[in-house]
Amino acid sequence: MTTTKLVTVQAAYDDFLQRSLSKLSCDLARLIYLASTRDYNTGTYHHDGLAARFSPETAAKALEIAHRQIFLQLSAYSLEELVEQLRIYFESSKDGATEILRMWQKLEPYRIAIPVEVNPAVARLFLSNVRLALAIWRSRQDQSPPDQ
Amino acid sequence: MISITLAILMCMVAVLSLALLATRGSSVKRELAFRSDVPLYDETTGDPSLCPPEFAARIFSSADWTFVAGEKSPEVARLFLDERRVVALVWVHQTKTAIHRIMREHTRVTRHSQDLNLATEAKLFGHYLQLVAVCDLLILAIQAAGPSRVGALATYAASLSQSFADAQHALAITTAARDLRGASTAH
Repeated sequence: MTTTKLVTVQAAYDDFLQRSLSKLSCDLARLIYLASTRDYNTGTYHHDGLAARFSPETAAKALEIAHRQIFLQLSAYSLEELVEQLRIYFESSKDGATEILRMWQKLEPYRIAIPVEVNPAVARLFLSNVRLALAIWRSRQDQSPPDQ
Repeated sequence: MISITLAILMCMVAVLSLALLATRGSSVKRELAFRSDVPLYDETTGDPSLCPPEFAARIFSSADWTFVAGEKSPEVARLFLDERRVVALVWVHQTKTAIHRIMREHTRVTRHSQDLNLATEAKLFGHYLQLVAVCDLLILAIQAAGPSRVGALATYAASLSQSFADAQHALAITTAARDLRGASTAH
């Protein structure tokens, strides 16, 4: 990749960070959002606004980098920090925490949030930590007295 | 006479230990292939680099265990021990495969070299054997005591594998440069 292209990708990345990612409540929400910009069939990333401001290729590269960075950031979190991320994510969602928790434990949608070219041990650590954080949430819910 | 018997006995213990480690290694690989959510690291699917050290520290950290223990849920504690054990074994397996690959690559590069430094080669090979032994020991330790109790050994393995990769890289550059110089003076 040439220097000019790298500079453009960096500009697209900064723009996306400022306009879109910073508006989201937590890193977990950012990861889910970024994974949703990736095509399930081709693995390529797409974002209309970013592609219009830069080019589809530059936008795709910037999204790919942002996805990888946020994934690595989340994978390095301690379990305690990840449980906190889940709390913020649940609270910022319009759906109830209990329902999200049930669906996340059942369908494990966070599995598709892993970038394509990622270290296998890091990917396994991430999946394991989310599974554990969900189990901790479930256990806390089971232990708390039912609402009057 | 006693010393010969003792030597034979020690050799037998060493051979048996190596056989045990090898058996454990292959059974762990089979278990991981069955249990792991992501494909195991190998030559075709894997990222050729070693796992970054900050993740090794996270996998073997005791802070997560302290947090889980504070939740006072036997179910969560059981899940944590099981999950983290598998992640730790995936890490060891990946590290081991990476160092095998680095050594193979090194052998390929130096095979046709005209001007090998035997002392440096022997040192690198010793480094490689030490790493393989540490990884095998780590597999046993993880299974016996759990990942959060073997953090020091894992950190040692992580730094040893990184310095092994760096040493091999430096040696490959030196060998290539020396061969290039040799080729240019021959012409």
